[in-house]
Amino acid sequence: MGRTLPSATQLMLNEEAALSRFRRALRRGDQLVFDDLFTAAQKHISAAAYAAHALPFETFLMAMLIEEHKEVMRLRKIIEVLQEMHA
Amino acid sequence: MLEFTGWLLDLFEDPREGLVLYFIDEDGARRRLIYPFPVTFYALGSDVELRALWRHLSNRPREITLRRTQRMDVFKRRMVMALAVTVQNPYEVSKVFRQTAAHFPHLEYADADLQVSLRFAAKTKAFPLSRCRVVADEDHKLETIDILEDAWVLKTMPIPLRIMTLSPDVAPHHARPHYLKAAIGDEEYHFDLQTWRPLLVNLRALIQRYDPDLLLTDWGDTWLLPRLLQQSEKYHIPLGLNREVGRGVSWHEERTYFSYGQIVYRGQQIHLFGRCHIDRQNAMLWDDYRLDGTIEVSRITALPLQTASRVSPGTGISSIEMLTALREGILVPWQKQQAEMLKPAADLFTADQGGLVYQPHIGVHKHVAQIDFVSLYPAIMVHFNISPETILPDPQGDNMVPALGLAIDTSQDGLVPKALRPLLEKRIAMKKYLASKPSWDPFRKNFSRRASALKWLLVTCFGYLGYKNARFGRIEAHQAVTAYGREALLRAKEAAEDLGFEVIQLYVDGLWVQHPDKTQPADIEPLLLEIQARTALPISLDGIYRWVVFVGSRQDKNRPVANRYFGVFQDGSIKVRGIDARRRDSTPFVSQAQMHLLELLASKDQPEEALPEAIAFLQERLRALRHRQVDLSDLLVRQRLGRKLAAYRTPSPAARAVLQLQSVGKEMRPGQRVPFLYTLGRPGVFAWDMPQRPNPQAVDVARYQRLLLRAAGIVLESWGWDEKRLTEKMLSDASQLKLPTLPKPHPEKHGHQVRRLTDSQASHALSGP
Repeated sequence: MGRTLPSATQLMLNEEAALSRFRRALRRGDQLVFDDLFTAAQKHISAAAYAAHALPFETFLMAMLIEEHKEVMRLRKIIEVLQEMHA
Repeated sequence: MLEFTGWLLDLFEDPREGLVLYFIDEDGARRRLIYPFPVTFYALGSDVELRALWRHLSNRPREITLRRTQRMDVFKRRMVMALAVTVQNPYEVSKVFRQTAAHFPHLEYADADLQVSLRFAAKTKAFPLSRCRVVADEDHKLETIDILEDAWVLKTMPIPLRIMTLSPDVAPHHARPHYLKAAIGDEEYHFDLQTWRPLLVNLRALIQRYDPDLLLTDWGDTWLLPRLLQQSEKYHIPLGLNREVGRGVSWHEERTYFSYGQIVYRGQQIHLFGRCHIDRQNAMLWDDYRLDGTIEVSRITALPLQTASRVSPGTGISSIEMLTALREGILVPWQKQQAEMLKPAADLFTADQGGLVYQPHIGVHKHVAQIDFVSLYPAIMVHFNISPETILPDPQGDNMVPALGLAIDTSQDGLVPKALRPLLEKRIAMKKYLASKPSWDPFRKNFSRRASALKWLLVTCFGYLGYKNARFGRIEAHQAVTAYGREALLRAKEAAEDLGFEVIQLYVDGLWVQHPDKTQPADIEPLLLEIQARTALPISLDGIYRWVVFVGSRQDKNRPVANRYFGVFQDGSIKVRGIDARRRDSTPFVSQAQMHLLELLASKDQPEEALPEAIAFLQERLRALRHRQVDLSDLLVRQRLGRKLAAYRTPSPAARAVLQLQSVGKEMRPGQRVPFLYTLGRPGVFAWDMPQRPNPQAVDVARYQRLLLRAAGIVLESWGWDEKRLTEKMLSDASQLKLPTLPKPHPEKHGHQVRRLTDSQASHALSGP
């Protein structure tokens, strides 16, 4: 549609395709984790598009990290609550 | 006219007769026949140079005939013009060739340096030790020879070989032998090695009386035969070691070479004529092969028994390929002049890879099925037709190699697949036979030794595809094989996961899978069929482990390594890889103890139940060690000397042992194994082959204690007894028993180990300040 540059979604699909050999050689359980990470990165696809970074994969990694850290913070909260309940 | 049925025992070139052949007639006679056998080599090059060569050789019409011809060059994939140089007597061919090659170094040569037995087998189909029907004329000149059993027959007629064994009472490099044991049939004789004259006279009489076909010796190549020959000359008592009159024995020099990253030493060799000599101590893989396996190698490689017993499997594979080429009229290059195809650097990333290997999860796994591809790489070569000449540089059609920019030409059978197919089929047939027969089957031993010989040939055939100097090697073919191998293994993994199995480990040609409900061989059958359907390669169930333990690396036990594990199959048999019990340099004291611990674990339904017994056993072993009740020979370490002595900056224990030997005039070469004991003080070792006896009190008990507990820790770690805990336990017992305390481990070893948090520490950290 008259684009000169690939869209961020397209870029992410490209990166995922570039890693397909890596993904194939993973154990099935690890493959699912791999897919989870890309799903997580997808949540920030518009931010990644806005950033227009020269190395888009770095942005995707950052997006994965954000989702990972959010999850860590969520779990830490839960543990604190549980510990207070048991104290 | 002479006509008989028998076995071809030996054949060699002779200056007068051409070829001399020795046969074992089935009526008991031994027959010597002759055979005029002109042999041909080829020169290839420009017309001008070939004309010059023609002129150079044309003045010897009685010895040499010349002919212009077209031959198949497998690497160029077309017929090429060649000058055929036919030498009337095979005895002369190597000399004629050497002179020619020195005079015309720019020409290429083919079929130049082949064993005469290969040429004979290519022409007549008869190979060493083949059973055949022979017709000769009254001058004992061979007229026709027809084989009755080809090399691929499973159950062969036993050869009525007369075997004489000769062995000194002790290893001559270790101590001075006192007598020589000679055995033939049920009879055994002892000859005093101090009195040579009676020994020589009696030995000669024995050889004359029994006329053995095979002299099976210990240290015959390196010690016994040289000694016998020297003394026989001194006393003027010829022994008649050869059957062929008027020929001396043939000496082949010792050598040291690199193979698969290891340095290997082979002693000098002594070959006889008309009779065979095999030195059990210098023969290739004798412990696996025995005579059955060695005969098998000789038959399928068409190398004479004496040669076959001493060559590496790689040379064997080369011979099979050369024989196939000779039969097909394909040129066998003398020195290969062939460069790797040009490819972009990025392609090297995908091309230059080995097999696919996973990092296993460390620890115990229960009910794991081990599934192996049967001879994966040879099967790939045969099935996908991979051969140096079938690799097409420009990819086209649908025969693309996975992930490589190469394609395979499947329009005709390649040379390597053609050579390997019967070998592979025979191995699979033997494996099937062995799997289907009970343990008392009379052919079992014979088959398993021969199968082992086939296995080693098949294992090396892949390496020879990629070896730069192999005559029918080509690196792209090698890469294609590993690429297909990785693809096959991934497809197998996907098949397993699709059927609900968890993949525990992948290792080049095998996979370990686990499923909570599928724990019997019949449950695995559908998976085998599925993998076979997806890969088209033969696969078999090696067995189902009751439990299997993957252990970490020797440097850092938390780091997984691919091929270090032990486990117990459902039938109770134990499989061990990469740990002390398997390593050839570990001491018998340690490896036997480790194996015993494994047997203890295997003997119980739940391995945990064996722990008290295991601890008691270790205490008993340590007590025996402390009280010098362990045989010194069980404490021997056998390490390989890795390089020349001068090349060591800090000599390894093995090098220090060699230095000791040097001081008493015993020389060792790199690649030889040096047996020694660890002792107290300097130099910390005692070489076993020193003339004086070792002092049992000087044995470094603490060191052996450490080796034992480390090996025990590897086995027991998964059940809570690692080396550290074992050491503490033994130490506390030792203080009561007054055992020597263990020296502290070197502090460096703790430096980079990440401390693990205990549970209480973790919860403390989580709750925060």
